[in-house]
Formats: sequence, C-alpha cells, structure tokens
Amino acid sequence: MFNSIKYATVIGATLIAGAAIAQDYPEKPIEVIVGYSAGGGTDVMARTAAPFIEKYLGDGASLVVKNMPGASGQIGVTEVANADPDGYTLGTFNLPGMMARTIDRKADYSADSFTYLANVVNDPNVIVTSKRSGIETMDQLVEEARENPGAVTVGMSSLGGDDHFMLIKLQNLTETEFTIVPFRGSAPARTALMGGHVAMGILNISEVASFQDDLNVLGIATTERSDFAPDLPTFAEQGYELVNGSMRGFVAPKGLPEDVEAKLLAAFEQLDGDEEFLAAMAATSNPVEVVTGNDFKVLTQDLWDLAKGVWDETPWN
Amino acid sequence: MYSDLLHALPEVFGLTNFFAVIIGVIAGIVVGAMPGLSATMAISVLVPFTFGLEPLVALGLMAGIYNGAMYGGAIPAVLLRIPGTPAAVATTFDGYPMAQKGQGGFALQVAVVSSSIGGIASAFALMLLAPPLSKVTLLFGPSEVFWVAVFGLASIIFLLGGNPIKGLISACFGVFVSVIGSDPIYGNDRFTFGQLELLDGINMVILLVGLYALPPVIDLLETPLKTDNVGESQLGTEPIWKALPKMKHFWKTWLRSSFIGIWIGILPGAGGSMAAFMSYNEARRASKNPDAWGEGEPEGVAAAETANNADTASALIPALTLGIPGTAVAAVMLGGLLVHGLQPGPMLFRDNPDVVFGFMWQFLFGAILLVLLGGSLATNSFARLLNLPRPLLGSIIIVLMLIGVYSIHGRMFDVYLMLGFGAVGWVMDKLKFPLPPVVLGLILGGFAEENLRLALRIGRGDWMVLFSNVTSLVIVALTVAVIVGPILKKKLAKSKTRDAT
Repeated sequence: MFNSIKYATVIGATLIAGAAIAQDYPEKPIEVIVGYSAGGGTDVMARTAAPFIEKYLGDGASLVVKNMPGASGQIGVTEVANADPDGYTLGTFNLPGMMARTIDRKADYSADSFTYLANVVNDPNVIVTSKRSGIETMDQLVEEARENPGAVTVGMSSLGGDDHFMLIKLQNLTETEFTIVPFRGSAPARTALMGGHVAMGILNISEVASFQDDLNVLGIATTERSDFAPDLPTFAEQGYELVNGSMRGFVAPKGLPEDVEAKLLAAFEQLDGDEEFLAAMAATSNPVEVVTGNDFKVLTQDLWDLAKGVWDETPWN
Repeated sequence: MYSDLLHALPEVFGLTNFFAVIIGVIAGIVVGAMPGLSATMAISVLVPFTFGLEPLVALGLMAGIYNGAMYGGAIPAVLLRIPGTPAAVATTFDGYPMAQKGQGGFALQVAVVSSSIGGIASAFALMLLAPPLSKVTLLFGPSEVFWVAVFGLASIIFLLGGNPIKGLISACFGVFVSVIGSDPIYGNDRFTFGQLELLDGINMVILLVGLYALPPVIDLLETPLKTDNVGESQLGTEPIWKALPKMKHFWKTWLRSSFIGIWIGILPGAGGSMAAFMSYNEARRASKNPDAWGEGEPEGVAAAETANNADTASALIPALTLGIPGTAVAAVMLGGLLVHGLQPGPMLFRDNPDVVFGFMWQFLFGAILLVLLGGSLATNSFARLLNLPRPLLGSIIIVLMLIGVYSIHGRMFDVYLMLGFGAVGWVMDKLKFPLPPVVLGLILGGFAEENLRLALRIGRGDWMVLFSNVTSLVIVALTVAVIVGPILKKKLAKSKTRDAT
C-alpha cells in the first residue's frame, strides 16, 4: 500500500516534470549548427537571425552558433539530422544543395530527417556575361548558344547547386547547349568573368549587387523585380519563364516534441514582420523570403523531385 | 584615392583601435610560436568574437595577429626546428643550425627585423597597389594559374638538394595527398574510403603539424637525458643595437625577398610558405657561398622571414579588390571583413574608405610594432623555452599540437590523421627524405589539377587553350628558364674548367 502510493507519487512527479520541461523550453542554450565557415553567407544569416529568435522565444533564451564546415555543408547537416530531437540542436539548411547531396553522393540523411522550421533567405539567380563577350541581351545569348552549341562557356560555383539547376532550366527552356565551367565557389567564377576567361556566368543577385558596372547583368530569376536591383528586368519580362535561387533556412532533427516545435515555429514566423531584422539582412545583401513549417517542407520536396529528375536524365558526375 | 589614405590616419590612432593592433601583435607572436596554431586558425577563432566590435578594432586585431604570427613561427623554427606556422618551414633550414652553433639569439633578431621589414614593404604595397593591381590579377584565368602552379612545382627542383630521387618521391607524396577528397570539378570522392571527414581533402595545417612538428618532438622525448641544451648563455643574445650593424649587408636580400613575398602574396593560392621557399632559393642562388646555406647562414633566415611577412598584406590586395584571397589567412580575414558589412570590390574603396585605408595603416603599424614587441618578447621570454627540461617541453608541445589540431574542426578524426602524418614524417626523417617538397606538392598539385581541368573545359578539350595568350606564354618561358637555367649553368661551368685544364 505504502509502496504503491510512493510509486504513484513518483510517476506523478515525473509526469509533471516532463510537462514542465516542454513548457519551460528553452531552459539551456540552443546550439545552431552551421555547415560552413564563419563569415560565409549562411553563417552571416544564422548570426543575424539568432538574436531575433532569442527575442521571440523569450525567457532569456540563448542561441549559440557552432560552425562545422566541410563537404559542402554535408558534415554539419548530417550532425543535425542525427542530433537528439529535443529542441536544443538546430541547424542551417541550404537548398537545393542539401537535397542534391543526397542524390549525387552517399548521404546519411534524407528530406525526411528533419523538422522544417523556416526558410529565411531566397537569393535569386542572375545571368551575367563578360564585357568581353559582346553579349548584352538574353536574346543574343540564346542565339549564340543555338548557332554554336557548347561554344558559350558558363562559370558557376559548383555542380549540383542552384547555379547548375538554373542552367539546366535555361537549356531545357531554350533547347540550347552550354559548356559548364564549375569553379570552387562564386567569387572565383565572378573573377573569371571579369577577366573574360569565361563568357557567361550564373550567380546570385547578392553576389553581383556591387559588380553591376563590371559585368553585363542580363536578368533576374524572380517572379517580380528585386529590391536589390530594381532596374534589372526579370527573365519573364524578357519572355523566358525562369525562376530559381539559392535558399537558406533553419531545420531541427525529425521528431521534436510538439510544443517545442510550435514554440520554435512561432518564433521563426515573427522574423518576417520584424523591420529591424529585415534591415539587418538587407545590409548584408540577403534577400529575405520567409517560408515556415510545412510549406518549407513542401518546398524541399519539390526541389528534391526536380533534382532527382535532372539527375536521372543528365547526371552531373 | 590616395587622399583618402591620409584621411583615414587619425582614426587609426584612436586609443582602442591602436591598442587592438598591439594586443593583436602580441597574441599573434604567441600563437605563431606554438606549433600547430597558425594565423589562419587564430583569426578564424577570433572572427566570431568580433561581431560586436567596431570594424577597426576587429580589423586591427586581425592585422596584428597576422603580422605577429608570421614572425612568431620563427621562434620554435629556430630553437627547436619546429616551424610554428607553415610559412616558417624555410626558416628552420638555417635558423636551427644557427641555434645549435650558439647563435640562436642572433637568428631570432635577424628573423624579427626581417619580418618587420617584409611586413612594412607589404603594407606599402597594399596601400599603393591595391587599386591599380586589381586589373593585373584579372589576367590570371585558369590556364594562367595552372602555369603558375607548374612554375612552382618546377622550382621544387632547387629544394631537392642532395638526393633528387628522394626529393621527387617526397613531392609525389604531396601531390598524392592533394588528390584525396572530392575532386574539384565533379565532386566525386577519391581515396576517402567513405569517410565524410576526408571529403574536403586533407587540411594543410593537419599535414604540417603531423609532418613537421611530431618527428622532432619524438626525438626530444627519445633522448630526454641528452644534455646538449642550448642554455641562455649559448643563445648568444646581444642587444639589438649591436646586432643591427651585422645585418647591414642583408639589404639586397631584404629587397629581393620583399618583392618575391609581395608578388607571391598577390597570386591567388600561393601563400607564405611558397614565398619563403622561393625567396630562400633566390637568395641562395645570389649568394657568393651557397654551400654555407643550410649550415647556419643568417641570410637564409633573413630571406625566409622577410618573404613570409611580405606576403601578408599583399595577399589582401586581390582579397580587397576582387574578393579572391591570396592566402588562406587572407581568406579568413576576408570573412572577417564581410562580417562587418565590407563587401570587397572597387566599391569598397568608394563606400568605406576610412575603414579600408585605416585597416592598411593598421597593417603598417603592426609590422613596425613587431620589432619593439617581438624583439623583447622573443629574445627575453620565448627563447627560455630552451631551458625547460626536454620531456616537459616535448609534452607541452604535444598537448598544444593536439589542442590546435582538434580545434580546427572540433573533431578527433583530425587528431588521428595528424598522428598518422606524424608517423610518416618520422619515418621520412629517419630515411632522410626531404619534407618541404611534400608541402609544395600538396598545395601546387591541387592547384595545377583544378586549374588545368577548368582550362580544358574552357577550351572544350583543346590543349592549345593553355598557350593562347601572352600571360601564359610568359609564365611558360619563366618555367623553362627555371628548369634549364641551372643545367646550362652547370654545363658552362664544366666546359670552362675543362678549357682551363
């Protein structure tokens, strides 16, 4: 009798404690794993967003950014996928790169390994040409590529990234053929363009924002014009239905407790309306497009389908 | 443009900004002096902490660390034959024999003065050349960079010394290591055996720490009772004003090595170690008695240390103007600039002249401060490392190596990798295989492969793309001269002696 009372009390206490853990979330620092080095685009996004997330989580919440660079972000994101789903490990997530990694090499995670919190940045692609190439409009570019298949060399950051998907969309849309020259990152690709070593380049608007005088920027892959370059026409305006970009956001491991997930989602949702946050992101040339929760998951799935389709048809390695 | 340079000056002398440079230089020397901790690591650890600081405080710290570390690496290089940083490898060639001869103090003085001179020259180069040189760097596309790498590989020949076969095997080992990891074009993994940690290839710091730092430490521990410790008296330190006149005749080496360092710094990819090697070779070739080199020739220390500081600021020329860092450290510093909202490019000079030119001044002051801070720190404090009992010293160094390597990515895998390279290095050392070609093979092999493949893609498979412009042809000619020159010289010398007899 005495024992069973004691037993019941212990169970009761445990239940209360269990409920209290979720209610008090977060009661210790939350680690945010960034799969790239400090100072890079994804790192800057994470560090810019962190204080705002802390503010919206309330109760003295603290986010600690941890850089785990390597293997195009694969090391960091794998760590997130395998972490305890207790809400104390979050991570950054890049599209389409993270999904392409699951297709072009062996990966210990998949689209189902995560709780999708929010995509924060959507950095649209632009097509640029070298001043030396003599190509100044999309029509000229397409004509040149049609007349001499493969003659136009395209500098971009790497295979299986957003730049590459943009080119594939362009080739499919215009039935043309280009020669890809994949550099190790966008900066060397941009420099090769400025030096006239490649004719055309696919970059992101944030990467050319301050280089518009040195390169011919032909258009931007958005549905509406970008605030970063209001004079730059979209491709759709020029008769080419091309929308593509590099996305960066936040995920957690799959299987978060429901109330923790709800609390995190509520915090991330408020980023969109925070003028101070938007200004901080604009200052680092990061176009913000917040997509939260299930919409983010759907977006990821769509991109995976696209990448898989491309891979099945024309594998890039 | 240059009026902005003067305009930025008062900012730099603000108390906190100036203090930041001083702290940076001291921290840099300490970090550089610890084997395994490089300037790159120190600055990458620092960057996240500088988010809340004023830009010039953060950049001043970085400029100070960069300058300090490039000299700091010379201290263990001279005293223990352990290069504190990759760039100090060439400093061991003559610095360590000098220390064994009881001239360790003088070697360090030569190193600090030379480092400072190289740093000052580099800072001036950055100030004066950054804007106009952006156009020159643009000439270097993949095929040109490929030839630069080939040029570097060709100049390894001079490093082979006694046994060219062993040297070539070392170089091939380095090139093999460069192949590990995902290939630069398709991302296919090569020799990774499914290890995620190897996908990015072998981190150079890990290789260097293992290869260069472990074998001498093992030697230290192996012979704990040997009593050939170089005591303070044997260090042969004398006041700097007495030492300076002895360096007067180095001026040609200082000048030549500064130029080499500046140029290597500007070229993307090739960093301090290559600058130090090349300047060492050139200085040796110009020397009247090249045979004394490697046996404790102070001018060898001067050549290496001038060049590895002369590439510091100049590596930032392409970083600031184009966003292409010339060295790994410059890459990390570029990250630091971006954190403070400073986008590299011609716009940088228009939008933030005070910060960017202020940063250049900080570089200059960091280089000047080096003599004051480095001189006293090095000769009076760090040199006493030698008086520590060998087992203690060895253990301290091993602990620092482990911490340093672990902290690069925060994983044990790198530590095991480093120990593996240490074993390889120890065996190579015992069998008298030269180590420098391994490092150059690693850096240049990777560069040559990647850029050759990019160039061939641009040329759509036509090899003529490699010879299609003047810049390439000039570098090819230089490479041929580097290979053929010494052979011709030898033949000429032979035929002359034959004529004489």
